[in-house]
Amino acid sequence: MSNNTSLTRLLNSAFIGSLLTIVVLASMSPSVSQAYAAVDTAIKKITLPASTITLPKSALPGYNLALQKCTICHSVDYIHHQPPGMDQKAWTSAVLKMQHSYGAPLSECDIKSIGAYLSVVYGSAKADDPTIISASQLPVSAQPSDKALDVQVLLTNNGCTGCHDINKTIVGPAFKAIAKKYKSDTDAISKLVVSIRNGGSGKWGNMAMPPMNVNDKEAQTLAGFILKQ
Amino acid sequence: MADNETHLVQQSRRQFLRKASMLALGASPLLSLAATDNNEGVSLAGGMRPLVKYPGKRDLILVHSRPPHLETPFSVFNESLLTPNDAFYVRYHLANFPTEIDLNSYKLNINGAVKKTLQLSLEELKSMAEPVDVVAVNQCSGNSRGYSSPRVFGAQLSNGAMGNARWTGIPLRTVLEKAGVSPEAMYVTFNGLDKPVLPTTPDFKKALNIEHALSPEPLLAWGMNGEDLPFLNGYPLKLIVPGYFGTYWVKHLSEITVLDTEFTGQDSYFMNTAYQLPDNDCLCVTPGSTTDKSRPISTLPVRSFITNISVGDTLPSAEPIELEGIAFDDGSGIKDVDISIDGGLTWLTSTLGESLGRFSFLPWKLTVSFAQKGKATVMVRASNKNGEVQPLRASWNHGGYRRHAIESVAINVT
Repeated sequence: MSNNTSLTRLLNSAFIGSLLTIVVLASMSPSVSQAYAAVDTAIKKITLPASTITLPKSALPGYNLALQKCTICHSVDYIHHQPPGMDQKAWTSAVLKMQHSYGAPLSECDIKSIGAYLSVVYGSAKADDPTIISASQLPVSAQPSDKALDVQVLLTNNGCTGCHDINKTIVGPAFKAIAKKYKSDTDAISKLVVSIRNGGSGKWGNMAMPPMNVNDKEAQTLAGFILKQ
Repeated sequence: MADNETHLVQQSRRQFLRKASMLALGASPLLSLAATDNNEGVSLAGGMRPLVKYPGKRDLILVHSRPPHLETPFSVFNESLLTPNDAFYVRYHLANFPTEIDLNSYKLNINGAVKKTLQLSLEELKSMAEPVDVVAVNQCSGNSRGYSSPRVFGAQLSNGAMGNARWTGIPLRTVLEKAGVSPEAMYVTFNGLDKPVLPTTPDFKKALNIEHALSPEPLLAWGMNGEDLPFLNGYPLKLIVPGYFGTYWVKHLSEITVLDTEFTGQDSYFMNTAYQLPDNDCLCVTPGSTTDKSRPISTLPVRSFITNISVGDTLPSAEPIELEGIAFDDGSGIKDVDISIDGGLTWLTSTLGESLGRFSFLPWKLTVSFAQKGKATVMVRASNKNGEVQPLRASWNHGGYRRHAIESVAINVT
């Protein structure tokens, strides 16, 4: 099902792409290359199209982890366009490489869980394989301690800074822009906690933010930090 | 081999779609574009790769979008010997790169083991020496990785991660000599404006040994086919390393560092850990086995393609048919390009066209005639003046790098 859906989407996007081309040619308007015609000739600027490919949905815990962690550094099409039929061991090694070679913030548990999910939705594994089930056991979230949480550690481990900068828009809005938007909202913290824990899209554009795997206290710490910017 | 079967099924499906779309062309050009199989015979976990439009580019095949990686549709190589700027492939490694570059503030920094560090604007760089041109092939190390058997992870490229362009710039050694390279210098490293998203990810830096860096060949180029570099190909300045794989051709070049030591540390990853080949005579291993010793990928092996026919085409029998294509190598010079129309039993020598330089695509052509009707396999095999000949079968390595086996095109003769 999900393959069919994504194929249809691909065909649609190619269709729309060609439609746009034809429209441009027909109206003799300037092409997309003009996107970097600048006011000052010393400045060249481009606008990159957004990625349209999404990860196949799954009940496996690796799905949410993949949404959260993989997209810190790269779009989903990176994964989507890998060879078919790779097994759980191969996919898990590929995820391990992301941690080992590229410094992705992944625990051993994350690696096993994401490897299991990817090998089910893109490879030869089945969701009810015993090895998939055992690799998909996530540890119980650590109980919130009274000790102050380190925001920098939370930001890094959850890959927040892959998509958000304090001052400028990257994939998601700048923390300063979020703080400004909620400046006079007395309910700001709880709204941000919901966004952080559940993810969402539409408030800042169509790019979806995945749900972050953090507990309430951690989400409050992050929300507090963002609103202080 | 399951892989090969998949490959053939996909190829014939592509042909069907292509023929079907050609019939439909008059009625609906939109459908014809939508139906093209951009995988070019490479099967993928997530299905077909879409065509996408990026700034300064025509519709190219999406490998991935963040950071951008776009492949040139193979039909482009039948258009012209120089690959048009808007069709040239795009490959980034790191997602944190500028989408706005201001020449008022852009500087090229030359530092490290030099007498005097330099900070040059593009204008200053351009006025340092008489500009020179070189026509050279830029081929991605992983070009054709999708045909690796058994398959390996990585960008599943067809044959379009290459291009041939006229590059304009000044020799790298001009700026190195101006800075005054230390007599102890061992390497020169190159860094661009692209940066990793996370501080734990290595930056993309490449190194050339000092002899190579001071040779006449590497260029600091701002021009491509008579225009500014396209933004996505490294505007405003790119390192050109003729005869070497594209991984060395650093984009948005911003820093050149002379080292009087080995190149080590986190940021040596793309030189010392990634882009490695097994360090043996064949630069290969038996699939699945490992190797203790490896070395950085370097020069282009001899390679050739047929550009005016593709898998599944139907050609008439007993009629002269002119086959055309390209060959290239590391600059040693193409010796012969041979064609077989009987699946490799006998070979005919093609006529080589005019050379645009020893690092360029070299055109070839040959008129053939198919005596028999039915299925036929057309093959192309190049050799160079260094004694290299393309092998019949591709060797294997973990990265799926440096594929250069003889290309075969299965067609129907009627």
